[in-house]
This record gives sequence, structure tokens and C-alpha cells, in this order.
Amino acid sequence: MRDTMGIIITNDEKIPPVTDVRAIAALPIAGRYRVIDFVLSNMANAGLTNIGVATETNYSSLMDHIKSGKPWDLDRKNEGLNILPPNLANLSYGGVRGDIDMLQGISDFIRRSRQTYVILSLGNTINNIDFDAVLEAHLQNQADITMLYRDMTGVEERELSRFNLIDINEEGRITDIEVKPYYPKTALAGMDIYIMEKALLESIIDECTARGDHDFIKDALNKKLGGMRIFGYEFEGYSDKIDSLKSYYRNCMLFLNKDVRDELFNPERPVYTKTKDQAPTKYTDSAVVENSFISDGCVIEGEVRNSILSRGVRVAKGAVVRNSIIMQDAVIDEGVTLDYVVFDKEVHITKGRRLIGQESYPLAVSKRMTI
Amino acid sequence: MVSKDCVAMILAGGQGSRLGALTKKVAKPAVAYGGKYRIIDFPLSNCVHSGIDTVGVLTQYQPLELNTYIGNGNPWDLDRNRGGVYVLPPYQSAKAGKWYKGTANAIYQNIGFLENFNPENVLILSGDHIYKMHYGKMLKAHQESGAAVTIAVMPVPWEEASRFGIMNVDADGYIVEFEEKPAAPKSNLASMGIYIFNYGLLKKYLTEDENDPESANDFGKNIIPKMLANHEKMMSWSFDGYWKDVGTVYSLWEANMDLVDTPPKFEISDRSWSIYSRNHALAPHYIGYHAKLANSAVTEGCTIEGCVTHSVLFGGVSVGEGSEIEDSVIMQGAVIGKHAKIKRAVVGAGAVVGDGVQIGTEERADNQYASPMCTHGVVLIEGGVTLEAGSVIPRGSMVEAEV
Repeated sequence: MRDTMGIIITNDEKIPPVTDVRAIAALPIAGRYRVIDFVLSNMANAGLTNIGVATETNYSSLMDHIKSGKPWDLDRKNEGLNILPPNLANLSYGGVRGDIDMLQGISDFIRRSRQTYVILSLGNTINNIDFDAVLEAHLQNQADITMLYRDMTGVEERELSRFNLIDINEEGRITDIEVKPYYPKTALAGMDIYIMEKALLESIIDECTARGDHDFIKDALNKKLGGMRIFGYEFEGYSDKIDSLKSYYRNCMLFLNKDVRDELFNPERPVYTKTKDQAPTKYTDSAVVENSFISDGCVIEGEVRNSILSRGVRVAKGAVVRNSIIMQDAVIDEGVTLDYVVFDKEVHITKGRRLIGQESYPLAVSKRMTI
Repeated sequence: MVSKDCVAMILAGGQGSRLGALTKKVAKPAVAYGGKYRIIDFPLSNCVHSGIDTVGVLTQYQPLELNTYIGNGNPWDLDRNRGGVYVLPPYQSAKAGKWYKGTANAIYQNIGFLENFNPENVLILSGDHIYKMHYGKMLKAHQESGAAVTIAVMPVPWEEASRFGIMNVDADGYIVEFEEKPAAPKSNLASMGIYIFNYGLLKKYLTEDENDPESANDFGKNIIPKMLANHEKMMSWSFDGYWKDVGTVYSLWEANMDLVDTPPKFEISDRSWSIYSRNHALAPHYIGYHAKLANSAVTEGCTIEGCVTHSVLFGGVSVGEGSEIEDSVIMQGAVIGKHAKIKRAVVGAGAVVGDGVQIGTEERADNQYASPMCTHGVVLIEGGVTLEAGSVIPRGSMVEAEV
């Protein structure tokens, strides 16, 4: 896929306590990954070689993760992967009030990029998309803007309200967009991923900024639905976004589903991430493991069921871990029982303690806590 | 940390002919080990952790895979502006093109490379040993003693001493005699094939050796005896950690088992001395509902539905329901079907083991796959081989791909 650049917006939305120390895009997920790895890998797999990551304030963890962009093969002499620190001038207006402000903050990067097309995405989407097919549809439709969406018919209303819901005509043209409405009128959920000509994005940013507008959908797209050819592209695979502890927990647990795993970790479009060079995981003779997703560098002596373990987690003999998400380097001592918990990195739970959450309310423990 | 005062040269041209099908297409240093490593990861990682950032890798036999694997050296943090890792194959010069005749000749042919860095000392390593060693400590001892050469030695069991090059040393660690595979060893200190030479002297001895038509151009056979005869100051440096020369199918299998023994004979999970390797982008491994794991090492990308005991599984291996794997090494991406039984085997990368296959479960006198390479009952299945459902591969077999 030539002549296309990528822009990933990573904002400061909060999921306490796991985003106390990082942006959602930098949140560990699926054992060895960070949330942003999915969209970055999608772009890298489509052959994009010029990608900008716009950041708001909490981006040091993100920088530490991305560094030179090497794992995505984006450490290039020209272009490559660029972390774009926020434009502090925005803060003097009372901070970032919408995605337009963030795009305005990186407008210099956009302007000097040489590609004709741009894929614009939020940094919290979890999916494995073939962007080539999206660009092809965009060109075929002679669209000005193509917006990816999923048909979520059958999903309960409260769930739909997390999304920007669209309506489309027979041609596939978007006729209406509602930003996270409380009473959904459709079940077609925007995925926060757009493709358009770079020049168009530049003019949208410019126009909005000049008028004091802040929101890409409310202020730009919605007002242009009549005048511009804004098309929907239905993505039929698995996709979700991480916007709450609940969606985080549910997404993680879905990695235990073979179909989801096979789709997201499609060997033809691998998901890349920073490597840690940890030894393979060791299981002793007292280990009991069932239906779990486990990264390298763990030592498992106890019982692990229906759980996701990041790298370097230690589960001592007699400890029981069920229905839980355990991030990097947690230490779980003898006789501990965990059920429905989310452990941030480097949590240590001492001998014999019990922590029990609920499926609808997993118990989250912040980074480096000792219990 | 020590820096440019030492350049490392890794001899990685060895064929490893006793490794049978494992080295048909790759040189011995590129042989896979321990779930995610190649043997050469060990000397390379040791160099980086020891503060040595300039490394030449001398290749000769089947270099393609090794060259590709090393690439620009990034996985070992050896992509440097000044220094880094260099793959050094034999080359054609104005006078003649020459294969590396021996270990000493291989270094001799690369004096031009060493001159670029003009190091004070040169560390000579073998690319086919598995161990963790702080070469910096050895270098410090070498510099402090002012020796012409320092040779790493380790005690071996007396009954095995006659299989090694034995160093006889005095009370201060000076080497007084070197005996290659002595019938009646006087000491049990074996040379590990790890040398630190004063570069000026090394150059002198290599040049003299090259001009000697009688010489086999080998460090152990020629250079070291010559230096001893000339009364150069030669020091031993004693090492007592884990060290393994994986020369045979059995020793490679054994070295893998050393990782999963309780307690492990060799520990590679120490994060202060990580062994770096080129990574495959694989998801975490998935353990299914009917799996049972005990005393095993499992790498990312695996899907385990069967029973795995005292075994090492490389990345991307799948083990079907009802299969039993014991005392075995299953390499990258191998697919094990359902209800297969694998015992005491090394299954090569990408091999496909059909449902109900039995490997290493029985002894057979008329075994068509019997191979002298596969001693101690170990079975070797070459990478990429497909074993049809229900096949039976007896102990001591080597199953090769049809060419």
C-alpha cells in the first residue's frame, strides 16, 4: 500500500487505576502486547512507512514502548515511526478539547509528509485489518472520506452507546453520525478509523481551527455529510476498543477464544511488539493450567485457569489464579487465591491472601502494590 | 565495563557432522536450542554483557541461515556505528581465494578486519558452546597478569579428561604443559577453546604459523604448543559454571533436558544475563482444557492440548489432545497431532507428526531408521518431515526428509 501515511491519536482518556501511569494506548494487553500494537501492526503490515503518533500528556510509557519503531520495522532513515509530543500551546487554551486540537498540534508533521492518503485512527482499537482492502474500496467509491464501522445488530443498547453510530444509504454513503448517543437509532458502530486524502485532512484541521471547533465528527464530518462523499466500510471481523475496565477485561478474556485468537494473530498479518528476551515459561510438576494465555518468562508452580499472564509472572505452589489478567512481573505467593482480578505490573500478593472480584466488576490493583 | 581494548572473534564455521540431520542445512552455531535460541546466541550475548561490542563471526559451512540470523546484530544490541557484529566469510583475494584451513588460519585471514580496530587483545571464541561467562572478568585477569595469552579452563571429571585438551598448570595458574587428549592425564583442567591473546603476539604467531607448510593452522594443535615452546607467559583462567559442547544429537538433547531438570542444571531465566535471540512475532502460548504440563519449558506461540512432561517446546508448536510428550525437544512450529506419543526425541522445526504416531516408545532390532548418530536411544526427526498418522519410530532412529 503505497502513498499512504498513518496518524494514531492516543488521548488521555482514563481507565483507573491502570491508566494512572500510562495512556490507554500503552496499556499492556494479551500478555505480551500493548494496546497500540494492534493499530501500529495493521499500519505496518499494510506497508505504511510514515506513521505519526499524536500524544496528549501521559506519553512516557508509550515512548518507552515504541522507541525507534524497530519491532514494526519502522526505524527508517527517512520517515518511519514518529512519536509526536503534544503542542503545549494547546494547553494555554485550557487543554485539548477534541481530536482536532490534537491534530492541529501535529499539523506541521502532517503538512511535511509526502503521501497522498492518510489513515487516521485512535490508538485504542483492537483488531486485525487489511488496510489495502479499505483503500481499494475508498478509491472505488470515489469517496472523500471512508469511515470503518461494524454492524453490531443484536448488541444491547448500553453497549452501543459506547460508539459513534452511523446510518448509511444503499450506496454505502453515510447519512448520519451520532456521537455515543444514549438512545441508539442504529447498530452500525464507527471504529474510529478513517481514510482520506491528506490534503482533505489538512483543510479540515485548518477550517475547524479557524472556526474554533474541536471535534472531528461533530464539527467536521457531520456538517459535511451532504456536501462530501463520506462512505462507510463495513469491517466484518472482530473489533473492539478499550475504553473502560470492563471492555478491557472482556477483550482480554476473548483472547481465550480460539476464533478471536486466530483472527487477531493471523500469521499473514502478525502483531508486532517490543521484545523482552525472556526465557521460555517454566512449568513445574505441581503446575495445573487450563484455558490460559501465557507469555514467556513466567514460572508456574500453582494453578492457573481462564487467565491471561504477561511476561515474567510467578505463580507459587498452592496459589490459585482464576479468571484474571496478570500483567508483567507479578509475584503471586503460596496459597494465594485470585478470582476476577486485574493486576497491573509488578504487583506482589503475599502468602495466603485472597482477592475476589466479580465478572461484571473485576478488581483492579495498581502498579507495584504489595498486598 | 571494558571497551575497545578487546575484539571478539567467534569461530562459527563448524559443520557439526555428528549432529546428523540437525546440521544438514545449517552450521552448528545456528542449531536451535532451549526453546527460542540458537547456540551462537550464547557467545554473542556473553560478549554484550561483558562489554565487548565488536565481534567478528567467522562462517564457512552452510552460512546462509547463520548470516540471515545475525543480520545487523540488532537483537544482541550489536548494531553499532563503530564496532558491532560482522559476519566474516572466507573471501577471494588478489592472490588466491582460500577456504579457512583451520581455526588459526581463519583468524589469520581476517587480520585485516582486526587491524581496523587495532585492539589490544583479541578474544577467540567457539560458536558452538552453551554457557554464560563474563569475558570481562577473564580479560581483567589477562590484563593484570600481562600474559601473552589467557586460556579458559574448567575441571572435568577425571575419567573423561582424556577426551579433552588438558592444561597442566602450576600453583599460580601458569600453563606449563598442554596435552591434546592425553591417555594418562596429569590434570583434569580442560581447555574450553576460549582464548584471550595479546593482539601483537597473536599476529606474530599467526603469521609464522601461516608460513609453516607443515602446520595444520589450528590453535590447539599448533599455536598453543608453539607459544609454550617459546616460553611465552601463558595463563589459565578457571571457570566453574555450566558449559556444554553440543557435539552430538545426544548432547544437544541432554543440554535441553538440563534446562528442565529439577533443579535445572542450567538456568537461563536470570534477567541480569539475558540470552538475546532473534524473536518471532508470536502471541503468548495457549494452554487448553485438557493439557497437563510438568517440568517443561514452553515458548510463545504454542498451543497445548496434550500432556507435556520434562520437555522443551519451541515457539509456535502445537500439541493435539491426548498426545503425550516426555523427555523431548520439539522445535519451532512443529505440529503434533492427537494421541501421539513422543519419548526421548528431538523433533525438528516444522515437522508434522500425525495422529497416533509413536516415537521412541519401543526398541526394535530391525529398525530401518536406526542411525549411529542417535545414541542413547534418542530419536531425531529432521525438520520439515511429515510422519503419517499411526507411524511407529523406534528408539535410536533418525528420520530424514526425502531429498
